[in-house]
Amino acid sequence: MLSCIKDPDGPKIIVCCGSGGVGKTTISAAIGLYGALSGKKTIVLTIDPAKRLADSLGLKKFDVDAQRVPVENLIVCKDSATPDAGLYAMMLDAKHTFDQLIARYAPPEFQKKIFKNRYYQHLSNNMAGSHEYMAMEKLYEIFNQNQYDLIVLDTPPSRRALDFLEAPQRMLNILGHNFFMRMFKPYLKAGKWGIRFLNILASPVLKGVSKVLGKQALDDFAGFMQLWDDIMFEGFSRRATAVKELLAGNQTLFLAVATPQRLPMDEAIFLSEKLLLNEMPFGGFIINRVNFSNSNTEIQGFDSDKVFAGTRIDPELKEKLISVHNNILKMAKNDARSVNHLIEKTGSGNNVLQIPFSDSEIVSLDDLYRLSRLFE
Amino acid sequence: MSSENKDGHRIPGGKKAGITGSSVSGEPANPWLERLFSCRLIFVMGKGGVGKTTISIALACAAERMNKKVLLAEIGDTDSIGRLYRDQALSEAPRILTQSIWGARVDPKAELEAYVRAHVTPGFIAGKIVRSRLFEYLFEATPGLKEVMSLGRLWRWEKEENNHAGATYDLIIVDAPATGHAMSLLRLPDLLINMIRVGPVANQIRGLQHLLKNHQKTSLVLVSLPEELPANEAVEFYSMAEDTLDMPVAATFINCVYPAVFNRTDLQLIESIESSDWDFSFSAVSKLIASARILNRRRIDQLKHIEEIYAKANGHVQEIPFCYTNDLTINQIQELSFFI
Repeated sequence: MLSCIKDPDGPKIIVCCGSGGVGKTTISAAIGLYGALSGKKTIVLTIDPAKRLADSLGLKKFDVDAQRVPVENLIVCKDSATPDAGLYAMMLDAKHTFDQLIARYAPPEFQKKIFKNRYYQHLSNNMAGSHEYMAMEKLYEIFNQNQYDLIVLDTPPSRRALDFLEAPQRMLNILGHNFFMRMFKPYLKAGKWGIRFLNILASPVLKGVSKVLGKQALDDFAGFMQLWDDIMFEGFSRRATAVKELLAGNQTLFLAVATPQRLPMDEAIFLSEKLLLNEMPFGGFIINRVNFSNSNTEIQGFDSDKVFAGTRIDPELKEKLISVHNNILKMAKNDARSVNHLIEKTGSGNNVLQIPFSDSEIVSLDDLYRLSRLFE
Repeated sequence: MSSENKDGHRIPGGKKAGITGSSVSGEPANPWLERLFSCRLIFVMGKGGVGKTTISIALACAAERMNKKVLLAEIGDTDSIGRLYRDQALSEAPRILTQSIWGARVDPKAELEAYVRAHVTPGFIAGKIVRSRLFEYLFEATPGLKEVMSLGRLWRWEKEENNHAGATYDLIIVDAPATGHAMSLLRLPDLLINMIRVGPVANQIRGLQHLLKNHQKTSLVLVSLPEELPANEAVEFYSMAEDTLDMPVAATFINCVYPAVFNRTDLQLIESIESSDWDFSFSAVSKLIASARILNRRRIDQLKHIEEIYAKANGHVQEIPFCYTNDLTINQIQELSFFI
């Protein structure tokens, strides 16, 4: 399913999506390794990585700047990587990315003001969608630097699976409208920026709002919106459109990562439907931590005397062994049912890659390598 | 052959499953639970996908058995509770789910509308505000407004007497959003009080602050899994709760713990079985042994993380057994609640 990554004309961007806790970051790292070992200079952009994953790659920690995984670490992988191939990792940080953007679009004399604005401080870190937006932003930036053959993006865990797709647009909807300023402008007292403030008394609506929110909050807000409108809106909105085009293009491939539990599966299905609806390039499902059974037979109906003939296992242990075995079988059956449900519902039998439970525990680069072999 | 254990967990009253931690011994004597339920407002916290909704409902069931009237409140985008109980989303107005459990979903926008209508006169101005685009944008973009409104709803439920149909809730159990979001929710009163100093919102925020930091009234409960990331996060959470929030964690639930079925003698036997002189020709036995080893290996992996949590946890730690299902039903959660 993922062998297209090896293809020189294959995807340049792989976006891994799915709910939190399904092992998305590990899968992303394995895809990155797979790409690097097939001779592509690859970078993995990740959020909130586990310490152990950094350890397994031989990195002290993930950083907001790209770091190369030491070449000697990749030697344990038996493939012969071409000399220029490299594996890089970078941690995404919403606030950091947001600050960089301001530095890019806002004139120096305003930057300080923006960074100090309480609205900005909150927005850059806390607002719904800001992390998703920044992930996309960083992706776009790195893609345009054209330094890598393959970019693997581990998206923020988001319960609303498609926040990251709609994030750029939503940010603009919230922040971007010129008419918003037009609405405020009649009530802005004239003066240089920074000393202009809202003449709240002039508008009954603003007056009402300020009664609820407090005048100071409204002033902060107006200040930020004005800066936004005057200085940054255009840059941001051009950018958002470009990001969307990039994601919808044929150099991008989306993957839905899930585990067989109901919530992650529902989310993966929802995601695939939404991607198809938006004509975004969907590559398939990776189902992590799938239990497979080691036998098709339930021992329940067996004659236990016969099964255990010649062994010295006492009756109590026999009972335990049988019940444990049946539970292990049950997990395998449940997981198979979940996966079948997914295939039926989406009609995508060829596009489902199942990763056995035992393979998902990653403690070393060897483990990551073993996982990446499953992508063949 | 007995099959009482085929669902993978036992109903207390039967044999102990060997789950470590406190044993379940009849209903009444359970001091930590009594203490927890002496708080009126309980936030169930944890990373996405660890089972916050399951534990919230299980706590509500346990409280119901102790003759308490419970409100289960959901904050966030999912409709998990409503879907589990009756296949439809909960609404802002509490609805009765079982004899003494009510369910509601906090809708910050409806809350803000009600708020504006309550504080802005004359009424037509309030209506104009609520319908205006400005209102939409302020609602989306004002830092923390949604959070304040959500908390405000909880605050009022806590304050009100005769909440619903003549009943006063003894307990309000909040199925909180995933940790990051929930943290900013609970930190908000501290942050906002510096931004908004006067007016009705400021008063509400002060009230909230008092409620959240009143250790007799408000408690945090953490849900985690015996896996690397959730366990790490749990360990970090304890210090954040204490230092940043000043809201100590009253109890931790470690969800999906594989039961310790085998004792030490069993395990020695299982590990040695291949090299023994037993007749190993029955493939069925080898399959059974393989399954036993799978369970044991996973249990060992889990134990490492369970120990990490015990080492750092404040308050009670309770392990909840894994149920061998991908899709818990409300009945299964009710059974699980006996482990609390």
